[in-house]
Amino acid sequence: MSASVYARPVQPRIVLRPTLATIALHGLVIYLLTANWHAFEDKTITAKVVPKVIDAKLVELSEVMPKKPEPKPPAPKPAPKPEPKPQPKPEPKPAAPKPEPKPQPKPVEKKPEPKPQPKPEEKKPDPGPSREELLRQQREDMARTMAQEEAARAAATADEMAASFAALIQRTVVGYWSRPPSARNGMEVLLQLQLIPTGEIVSVTVLKSSGDTAFDRSAINAVEKAGRFPELQKLPQRKFEETFRRFRLLFRPEDLRY
Amino acid sequence: MEEQLSLIDLVLHASFTVQLVMLILLLASMLSWYMIVQRAIYFRNSQDDMIRFEEQFWSGIDLSQLYREGNERAADGQTIVGMESIFRAGFKEFSRLAQQQGMDSEAVIEGSRRVMRVAMLREEERLERHLPFLASVGSTSPYIGLFGTVWGIMHSFRGLANATQATLATVAPGISEALIATAMGLFAAIPAVMAYNRFAAKVDMFTNRYDTFVDEFSSILYRQAYALRSREKKAG
Repeated sequence: MSASVYARPVQPRIVLRPTLATIALHGLVIYLLTANWHAFEDKTITAKVVPKVIDAKLVELSEVMPKKPEPKPPAPKPAPKPEPKPQPKPEPKPAAPKPEPKPQPKPVEKKPEPKPQPKPEEKKPDPGPSREELLRQQREDMARTMAQEEAARAAATADEMAASFAALIQRTVVGYWSRPPSARNGMEVLLQLQLIPTGEIVSVTVLKSSGDTAFDRSAINAVEKAGRFPELQKLPQRKFEETFRRFRLLFRPEDLRY
Repeated sequence: MEEQLSLIDLVLHASFTVQLVMLILLLASMLSWYMIVQRAIYFRNSQDDMIRFEEQFWSGIDLSQLYREGNERAADGQTIVGMESIFRAGFKEFSRLAQQQGMDSEAVIEGSRRVMRVAMLREEERLERHLPFLASVGSTSPYIGLFGTVWGIMHSFRGLANATQATLATVAPGISEALIATAMGLFAAIPAVMAYNRFAAKVDMFTNRYDTFVDEFSSILYRQAYALRSREKKAG
């Protein structure tokens, strides 16, 4: 009887729920932190150096944002190569004019732009055929595009800028790229670049070698010669962190004859 | 120079001391969260029990009836805590003392009051359990984290000593990983401090309510004891 009066202080056992809650909370925090961190890192552009790509987007870019002071002569190349892109890319892939003037034995027909927003500006030079059709289409698109463009201009500026800078980087690097004689079609080397907000390249590493040292070396040389991209300073900080802090560059010659 | 600046890599590549600090802080954080949740559940349960018991107690139910109900629940294996255990302690002592002949009513009341005090202290002990741990996590883990950070920064600057060309890039990863320790320290400390303050206030609230109950219940016992003795005197 008296044992109950002076009872040993029994603790009610509450174990399971606190344990579960603790583990869940810490798991969630760790997951969120790492996932966020990764989202920052992983969103890298794969600026493939494929010499021949459609160049129609450059025209559109300069039209969409005329305020952007970019020394970019939009020279449309009539040698589009339909390139199968397996990975879905967040940014629209900009095009790069090929610096090396190499004659292409490729079909010369234009590839229609797979862009969701129709832009009358790019439609104009694109299809060569009948004027009536063109005019009709233009009128049709006009009203829609007027409103759309305004919205798109505001929303997509950062994306577009990033895309155009990606194109710029691509072009610059390709411009400095002198391929060794051992280069073959289908070889590819994947580089990882780290940039700082001033546009300087702080590190270049080979992520995936092509197997040919000379070829790898030539790619690294191209990047090192390019040195810095001061244009990147114009990019908003957040966008820079997302896309250009670390990104990958794929060198893949496809225009070689053998 | 392939420093993967992801969080996991930063933690994995940290120096041993910093890693140890991080581990300690992680454990502290987990333990303190365990205790926070556990205390929250316990306090909620005790509050529910207290409200239920007070309702029962003041509903005019016969006190020995209430005591028997408690007995049944105790026989079922439930631990009776909170206000009810104070009541049971006091009531049991009262009935035991009142049965003894020659006990004057003052002594009976004093005895049951003392027993209720003891039971209340036990209750306080139950309530306050784990709170010291929360307090020490709250006050020390920022310092532990700071220690990890200072240690890590010391290391990364020592690495600069031999470098001819000191760039930010050589120290930045080290500092970054070192700062994680401080972040973890704060992460552990902030909830612990907040929970400690909240729980300490709760404990105060419970103690006050129990105190009040002890006084109220002893006044009831007082009345009963005098009624009993006067009846005995009349009978004897």
